[in-house]
Amino acid sequence: MIRRPINKRWRFGLGIASIVVLLLSYTWLSGRMKEENPNDTTIPSWSQLKDGVVRSLELGKRTEERWLAVDAVATGYRLFVGMFLGVSGAVVLGLMMGCFPRVEAVLSPPLTLFAKVPGTAALAVFFVMVGTDTEMYVAMVTFGVLPSMALSVHLAVRDVPDEMLNKAYTLGASHVEVIWNVIVRHIMPKLIDAVRLQIGPAMVYLIAAEMLVGDAGFGFRIRLQQKKLDMSVVYFYLALLAVFGFGMDYILKKLQRLLCPWFNPVRQ
Amino acid sequence: MSEIIVHCDKVHHWFGSAGVLYDVNVRVARGNIVAVVGPSGCGKSTLLRAIVGTHPPRQGRIQMHAHGKPPYEVRRPGRDRGIVYQRYSLFPFLTARENVAIGLMLDETSIPFRLFRFLQWRRIRRRHLDAAAAFLERVGLEHAVKLYPHEMSGGMCQRVAVAQALIMKPQILLLDEPFGALDEAMREELQRMLLRLHAENRVAKKAGEPPPHTILIVTHELNEAIYVGDRVIGLSQYWNWAEKGHVACPGATVVYDEAAPVSDPDGPRDFEEFTKQRDRIRKAVFEPEYLQDREEFRRYWTACAAEAPHRE
Repeated sequence: MIRRPINKRWRFGLGIASIVVLLLSYTWLSGRMKEENPNDTTIPSWSQLKDGVVRSLELGKRTEERWLAVDAVATGYRLFVGMFLGVSGAVVLGLMMGCFPRVEAVLSPPLTLFAKVPGTAALAVFFVMVGTDTEMYVAMVTFGVLPSMALSVHLAVRDVPDEMLNKAYTLGASHVEVIWNVIVRHIMPKLIDAVRLQIGPAMVYLIAAEMLVGDAGFGFRIRLQQKKLDMSVVYFYLALLAVFGFGMDYILKKLQRLLCPWFNPVRQ
Repeated sequence: MSEIIVHCDKVHHWFGSAGVLYDVNVRVARGNIVAVVGPSGCGKSTLLRAIVGTHPPRQGRIQMHAHGKPPYEVRRPGRDRGIVYQRYSLFPFLTARENVAIGLMLDETSIPFRLFRFLQWRRIRRRHLDAAAAFLERVGLEHAVKLYPHEMSGGMCQRVAVAQALIMKPQILLLDEPFGALDEAMREELQRMLLRLHAENRVAKKAGEPPPHTILIVTHELNEAIYVGDRVIGLSQYWNWAEKGHVACPGATVVYDEAAPVSDPDGPRDFEEFTKQRDRIRKAVFEPEYLQDREEFRRYWTACAAEAPHRE
């Protein structure tokens, strides 16, 4: 029957089984490739993958630096600064648009337009306008995240019932207090959800930019290793990106539960 | 003469070409518990929103007469008018106690104070929360102080909402069909809560003090109106507007305004008296064929004036 619930044990068992099947399939595929070409690195064996991990972690012979440390610092800095600026700007613009119809009338059309432009397609514009230094990556993430997130915040603000705002006024709230003590608190869970949804696109923009013009970072390393057809480092990096995305999502969900214990997504 | 709190003076309201309220004149005296009834779409909630200040009238004015202040015209929501809606009266992100305390916080402190004088703010906060807990106890919700609205029943939420408004000691408490979504048992419980407020008014009057609660409740339940109100106002579009020279109904107006029997919160209801008054209200307010003169059933102030010399 559609949507018939399953118990926790079944859910856990099926989840584990899917991962085991994935790993077994990979092992079989890698073995098949080795039978055809023992030096193949496009689908590396588990030992080749281990070599890739070691190479990423040990000091480089030429640069005296660890790849992973250099790449993680470069990508992490660009991502966090870009996200911080993008999210901050989006919250301010979204709040203003949701609270003041005149601001909404001015900002809504351009933001709707910019939100439709794929961030990766706009790479060329950023190269030309901001150059290829750190600022370019930060700007890329910021402006990739800002329009769509501002629209999400705007919609969340508009969803706050008028009755709640009127109620606050009858309790003596000023305009600023209505925004800070009612609207911001009311939209907080949706705001955190919006940030969770923006992490994926932000990473896409950043990795794409690093692959094209980067001199450090995850995208740069993946491109370099892919040119040599050495996928052992590439798969390791992809796994790290997945773990990072999953970890951020988990932390934000926990943060949502901590800051908004009243929020019940099923009821919403 | 009773002290007037709210004066709706020749209030007209319309949406596009559709007239909603026409020449509505209502005076609410301190201590009144006024129930407003009327057919669906007659503008009961529009009148209430006009008094709240969210939808000021297109023509006419609404004046507030706060104690010790010159009268002023209502143009926006204000601290002197408490409101309880059928839904969304509580802030979902606050517990019951925080919901009741939020008015005190907003009224007595500012954002810079809360941010930069944190220690002082914590002391004041403690006092607010204690006061809120005491108010919740008054409405029988001492066990619910830490519950969020989604963890409470509809009736509990409405009781918290009433406490949230009352703690601010508003000049008038406005209730917009507050019990509309509740089951019968819960509805009766809340009606008794309003009657207890009326009982507090009577005690204050006896002691020679001004009655603390003035309430205007919009409801579509006639029995509820007669039971909780000490005065019932009927708004209706069924009046003799054609005889007054209008080609179409210009909007609903006050066609009924009479005192209602005051019930004891814990006593039985006087069903005989209820039935008589209900029949009169039905005839005056809900009967489309009965297009009477507006003045026919507006006897509240005349009756008050007639009673006053006897009291003296």
